[in-house]
This record gives sequence, structure tokens and C-alpha cells, in this order.
Amino acid sequence: MRFIFLTILTAILVVFLNPVAPFWMVMIGIAFLAALIYPNGFGGFLGGGLGMGLTWLGLCIYLGITTGSSLPDRMGELMGLGSGVTLIAITGVVGFLLGAFSGWTGVSFRNMLLKNPEDVYQG
Amino acid sequence: MKYFSFFFVLAITAALAVAVSIPLGEIPPIAPLLDPNHGFWQNSISEDQLAIEEIDLENLSAPVEVVYDQNLIPHIFAQNEADLYRAQGYVTAQHRLWQMEFQTMAAAGRISEIVGPIAIELDRMTRRKGLAYGAELGMKYLQENDPETLALIEAYADGVNQYISQLEEAQLPVEYKILNYRPEPWSAFKSVLLLKYMSDMLVGDRDLEFTNLRKILGQAKLDKLYPDFPTENDPIIEAERIWDFTAIPVAKPDSISYPDDLIIAEPLPQPEEGTGSNNWAVAGKKTKNGNPILANDPHLSLNLPSLWYAMQLSTPDLTVKGATLPGALGVISGFNDDIAWGVTNATRDTRDWYKITFQDDSRKSYKYGAEWRQANFRIEEIKVKGQDPFMDTVVYTHYGPVVYDRTFKSERQDLNFALKWTVHEGANEQKTFLLMNKARNHNDYNAALDHYAAPAQNFVFASASGDIAMRVQGKFPLKWPGQGKFLMDGADPRLEWQGYIPNSQNASTLNPERGFVSSANQYPTDASYPYYVFDNSFEQYRNRRLNRKLREMEQITVEDMMALQFDDYNLQASEALPVLTTLLGTYKSDSPEAERYLQELKSWDFFADPNQKGQTLYSIWSAETMESVWRELLDSKAPILRPSSYRTIELMATAPSDSIFDVASFEGVETAECHVRAGFDSLLVKMAEWEAEEGDYAWANFKKTTIQHLVPNFKSFSATNVYTGGGSGILNATGSRHGASWRMIVELGSEIKAFGVYPGGQSGNPGSRFYENFVPIWAAGEYLDFDLRAQQNAENVLFKTTLK
Repeated sequence: MRFIFLTILTAILVVFLNPVAPFWMVMIGIAFLAALIYPNGFGGFLGGGLGMGLTWLGLCIYLGITTGSSLPDRMGELMGLGSGVTLIAITGVVGFLLGAFSGWTGVSFRNMLLKNPEDVYQG
Repeated sequence: MKYFSFFFVLAITAALAVAVSIPLGEIPPIAPLLDPNHGFWQNSISEDQLAIEEIDLENLSAPVEVVYDQNLIPHIFAQNEADLYRAQGYVTAQHRLWQMEFQTMAAAGRISEIVGPIAIELDRMTRRKGLAYGAELGMKYLQENDPETLALIEAYADGVNQYISQLEEAQLPVEYKILNYRPEPWSAFKSVLLLKYMSDMLVGDRDLEFTNLRKILGQAKLDKLYPDFPTENDPIIEAERIWDFTAIPVAKPDSISYPDDLIIAEPLPQPEEGTGSNNWAVAGKKTKNGNPILANDPHLSLNLPSLWYAMQLSTPDLTVKGATLPGALGVISGFNDDIAWGVTNATRDTRDWYKITFQDDSRKSYKYGAEWRQANFRIEEIKVKGQDPFMDTVVYTHYGPVVYDRTFKSERQDLNFALKWTVHEGANEQKTFLLMNKARNHNDYNAALDHYAAPAQNFVFASASGDIAMRVQGKFPLKWPGQGKFLMDGADPRLEWQGYIPNSQNASTLNPERGFVSSANQYPTDASYPYYVFDNSFEQYRNRRLNRKLREMEQITVEDMMALQFDDYNLQASEALPVLTTLLGTYKSDSPEAERYLQELKSWDFFADPNQKGQTLYSIWSAETMESVWRELLDSKAPILRPSSYRTIELMATAPSDSIFDVASFEGVETAECHVRAGFDSLLVKMAEWEAEEGDYAWANFKKTTIQHLVPNFKSFSATNVYTGGGSGILNATGSRHGASWRMIVELGSEIKAFGVYPGGQSGNPGSRFYENFVPIWAAGEYLDFDLRAQQNAENVLFKTTLK
């Protein structure tokens, strides 16, 4: 549940913050969100990753459809990747990785801050 | 454990963030490039989707309206000239910022800053030629003599800079994103430098090659193979022109001696072969509507973003439209309500070399007559991406920079050649275009041209009042016959240029009897012109075809002129092919391929249309034959120059048994026949290869016209294999990498009718739908409507923007 919540909030963050801020600020924002929502480590990784990756992917596809530009194909060829479709996929993967590690970092941060329970007998 | 796991994950995340933010070798930082909000994806958006109704532009005295037509051609309406040029700078930068900066970086010898050590030698060359030095003198000239023009150039720079300061990362031109650098402020200096860069593109010299040739061949044979004057001269200024001035006498000093060594130094890059242009104007008496018609098509390297940017510039006193150069003010080739003008390159040797004798190794002084003159040093600091700067010391003499010395392009320690070039003298070319833009008549046109020095151009002119004119304008040194053709001794003051030809004595004509004026880079005058005119590259074919057609034509329409600009007739082939086939005789008549090719050549009508096979066969056969004729000469270790195709064909036709055709290293005596047959053998070999690998050898498929992005490595930003005809020496001069970079036709009646097109598009952004949308129109020989627009005209408006 928390993981889905993180995914949605990350996507909203990317949509609104990314146009005015560079990607690394978005990464810090995702880490904060993950610390706040606090899914488990894997949930943070996947939620942050999917949130950012899918948003980047969606934006590329949206730009491709609304502009009909040949630039993705030209860039794909220039970078030796063949077509623009590969570039869309790579952009999605890069977005996923950046978001995923940010989310995982946020969750680990919260983990670190949590105090060990004091009233448990530890032998 | 939990501390460890946090810092471990944090370290991975930080490392990832850093890895995608820094360049890895040639690869730019990945994340900023791929980020769909800031990276290249944003460059997919075309200009009309980004249209803004109002933009802040400071320092304007009144709002400026910019109306874009459906082709993204801006029509700027301002209240005065300062506002107009400020807006021109802003609007040009909106669409061509990367290109205008890149071109001036190239002109300043600063490409290494962008691409790294690979460009150091190129930058050294550019700086040693002294382009920036010439631009500094140009700035000084403006400051001292023409502060009004300088103020306008500064207004333009301010417009560019305001755009740069408003520019958001998302809209940064994609080339900056890929090459990972950012635009720097524009300046008046850069605009001046750009016009020097045009000189560099258009002016060459062959002094070193001719010096070597004279040594190898001797003067007599040199004159025979490289005659100064063409046999069939069809000059720019009609031969009937009478020169009604007293020429300044130029006396050749007695007993001069030229340096007479073989020079083994790599010559400076020359203007690319195929660089040239056509322009002409026909008088009302030859046209159907009784109005003069003017046409211009400059031939340059075919590049994207295009060298040209179309614009209309209007104030209450002035409305001008045509092709602008991003970075320069005003229109370069265009028209207004009263006149039209156009340019072709007026090739002439305005670049000479002097051998410098230094007193000692310190190079602080050099011999000049009986004295030792002081030299100056200019330290060029070439910044290099990813490395320490490269320092280059260039010695300056009163002639100009010592381009070749012990550290540059020379195998010999004692070789020091200084370059004297009109580009190194203060001049005010920008003023010419500012005045021409608002010229009303022939007198205004002449007054505008008086400010023009380099690169020399043939300025064609027509006015709605019925005048047509041509003037060969540039700052031309006064020389005695032969002066400056070879390397000269800088220690001998008698070898200095003798002054300059006065502007009023530059070759020109107004309303000639024949009813037309024309130029196609040929020899400017007939032999009666009282000054020595020399260049190695005067055109011999386009001019004759053009004048022949113009003489014949009557009742001319704009459509006729369009057809003439797109004329594919290969005059050289029509003259040379009969010579080649006669000399070939029955050679290889038993080969079926040979028979097939000869049959195709025989049925060919000499038009280099894109579907023609004869043109392909002719181009290979003639090139291979000439290669064979001059192979032995070209084997020389020292750089030399091949005789022109025109002269070679002439010699093959008139003196096929001449000793020049004999190859010393072969037994027996060779004649032209042997070379034609050798050329034919090569044709068979090349065609067999081509047919096996490529199949179709129709002309367009063979020549593969490419419009290349300014960074040649960015192949996918280029337009390749454009299906179009023409070639070098043909009126439609479109070869594989060169051709008509702008075509314009203007009929000057009570209402001006204008048409234009260029191989590119208004946008410099490879992601825009306006990047190369003119290419198919241009390739088919069609035009866009270029009529002047009134501000209130609402037809075909793409969008409007108000600057205030």
C-alpha cells in the first residue's frame, strides 16, 4: 500500500518539480518522500524508481506524439542506438535507476533514525 | 548495521548521480541530456508550439511587432533602426544562436575550446591568417570613423545577449547539450569577425603553387598551361564598355628577382571548388511585363543550419526582405520597395605572400631595403577543452602575419612567409549593407558600395525605376602585370603593392545596350580594362551558358528566370565529349560494357538532370582523363596546382600531339589519345565497381548531394542523398557538397514580386519541423513566395510576437 502511495507521490513530484529543478533536486525530493511514507526498503526502491521512470517515459512519449519531431530518431542514430524508441527506453531506465536509489536511500535514512526499542530484554 | 546500510545506499545513489552528471570522454553528461524536462527531448518542440505573444526586450524606444509567416520567416516592424537591429539580433538568436556562435568561434580560432585538442592545428591556422586581427582593426575603424554604425551593431549584440540571458535550459540549442558547453555573450566584435570569416571562405590564392610551378615548368610552359586570360572570354562587364577614366600608372620595377626555391610547405586551405555564384538582371525591354527582373544564387557549402536566414525588416522609412547572415545586421542579398541587389564572389588575387628575412633567430627585426625593421609579436592563447592552453607566437611584419615559420607547416627552419591581405585593413562592410537596405536608386547603391572592401563581390542591381547595373566592388591592390602571382621577396620595397584601384575605377556598368547584366565568377572585363586582374579560378562555363541564354531570351518572365537558375545544361560536356569520343576512336569497341556506356553518352542531351546516366559517365571519364594527363606533374613533392579543366580540354582539342601530353616515365611518345583511353579504362573499372556495389548510376544517385550539419560528425542532423540535378560549372551548380545556397528572383514593377528559397529551413533546431522543410522545395527547383508583407496583412500568419 505504502509502495503504491510512494509511486504516485513520486510521479506527482517529478511532474511538478522537475520542470523547474534539475534531476538531482528531484532525487533529493524522492528520498524525502520515501523517508516520509516509509515503505520497506524494496518498496522504496521500486516506488521511487517506478514513479520517476514511468513519468520520464511518459513525458518522452507525450513529447514524441505532440511534436511529431524526428529528433529522437536523429539522436538515437547519433548515439549509435538506432532509433528513438531505444532512447525512450533508456530514458525510462535512467529515470528508474535515479528514482529507485533515491527512494531506497530515503527508506534507509528513516531506518537509521529509528531508535532501537529500549524495553526489550536482549539477554 | 543500519548506519552502514544507510551510508552504503547513500554512497551508491550519490555515485550514480555523479556518474550521470559528468562527461565520460566524448559522451556528454547523460542525465541532463536525457531529462525530458531539460534535455534534448525539449528540443523536439517546434517554434510555433513555443510561441509567446509578448516578450520583454529592454532598451527599446517603442514596441516591436514580429509577424511570422507559415514558413517561420519573421517580419519585424519597428519604429526606428536601433530598435529594428536590436530586434533582429534577438529574433535571429532565437532561431540560430548555436550556429552564429559556432561560426564566430571558428573564425576566432576557438574550436579547440569546444571539441578539444583535435582542433588545435585548425585554430592555429585560423589565427595565423589573422582573421581576429583584421576584425580588431575593423572595430578600431568603426570606433574612429563611424560610431553610428557601431551603435547599431551594439544594439544587435544587445538583442542577442538579452535572448541569451532569458534562455532556459530546456530551450538551449541541442548542440550545446550534446557538446556540453554554454553560449557566451555576443559582441559587436563578433559581428565584425563574421564578415571577415566570409572573406576567409571566399578568397584564396595560389602563390606558393605558382612559385613551385614556375620552378618546375619554366615561365614559358607555365604561361602556356595557365594563361592569365581565357581564349573565349565572356566577361562580367560587357566587352563594349568604354573605360572613360585615366588609369593610375603602375610601373614594373626593373630587374626584380623572385625567390626561386621549391617550397615544400602545405598551402592554406582554399575556397572549396564549386564555391561560386550567379547573378543577373534583365532590363524591362527584354521582359514580358516591361519590368526589370533580378536573380541571384550564391553557391556555397551546403550546410545545416543554413548559412542564410530569411527576414523582412521594416521601419516607417524602410522595408527590406531577403537573406540575412545570422550574426550580421540587415539583409545581404535582397530587395526593398525600390531596388533589388544580389552578390557573387568577385574572385581576384587580393592575398599575397612575402618571404621574410629575419636578422637573427630572435625574429625581432627583418630586412627591408637597406634597413632592419622592427617586428611585433602576437601571443595567441588557444584554450583547449580538457587540457592546458596552447600558446602560439605569431610574428607580425608591416605586410601582415608570418603565417609559415619554423613552428608551423614547414619542414625548413629558415622558411618565413608573411601574408598580406586586404582583410587585415580596417574597413566597414557592415555599412554597405545598412545603406543598401534603404537604397532607393542607382546613386544610393553606388554610395553604399563605396564602403565595401572584402570579400570582393559582383553586386548586381535593378530598380523599379528601370535601371539595371553591375559593379565589381572590393579593395583591389594596384599591381603590375604578374605581381603577386608568385611569392615575393619581402626585403625588396619595390615589390610592395602600388596602392589601390579607386572605387570609381572598379569595373562597373549601368544599363548596357544588350539589356542585361550578369556575373558568374568569370574574368571581370575584356582586355581593355587598364588594370592587371589575376586569379587562377575564373569561371569558364557558367558565364558563357548564362550570357548565351540571356542574349537569346526575349519576353522574359519570372518563370523563365526560375528555369535559368535551375538550368542543368553542362556546357563543358557539350564541348569536351566530342573531343573525348574522337580521341577514343574504336578503342575497346569489342567490349559490350564499353559499347553500352558509349551509347548512353551518345544519346545524352548534356543536361545534368538527376535521372541522367550520361552525366555520371561523363564526369568520371573526364575526371580520370585529366587525372591521367596531369599525373606526372602532380607527382611533384612540392604543392602545385593543376591546369584548369577548360585549358586541358582546349589543349586536347587543338594540340593532341603536344609535348605536354608526353609522359617522361613511359616509353615512346604519348599523346592526348593515350590519356583519353587510360581515362576510359578507369571509367570501365569504376563503373564495374559502382554497378556491383550500388547498382543505379543515375546522376543524383551518383553525386549524392548532402546538406551537412556544421559538425560533420552529426550525420543524422544532415540531409543526405537529396534528389536533385546540376553540378560544378553548371548554372544549377549543385554538386555533392556545394551548390545554390540561396535562390532569389525579384520582378521590380509598380508592385514588387519576389521569390526565394534555400536548402534548409528557418529553424536551427534539428528537432523542429522548420529545420529542413525548404529542402524538397529547393531540390525540385521551386520557390517560396517572398513578397513584402504589410504589418496588418493577416494571411498565412503562423504567429505574432510583440517585443517591448
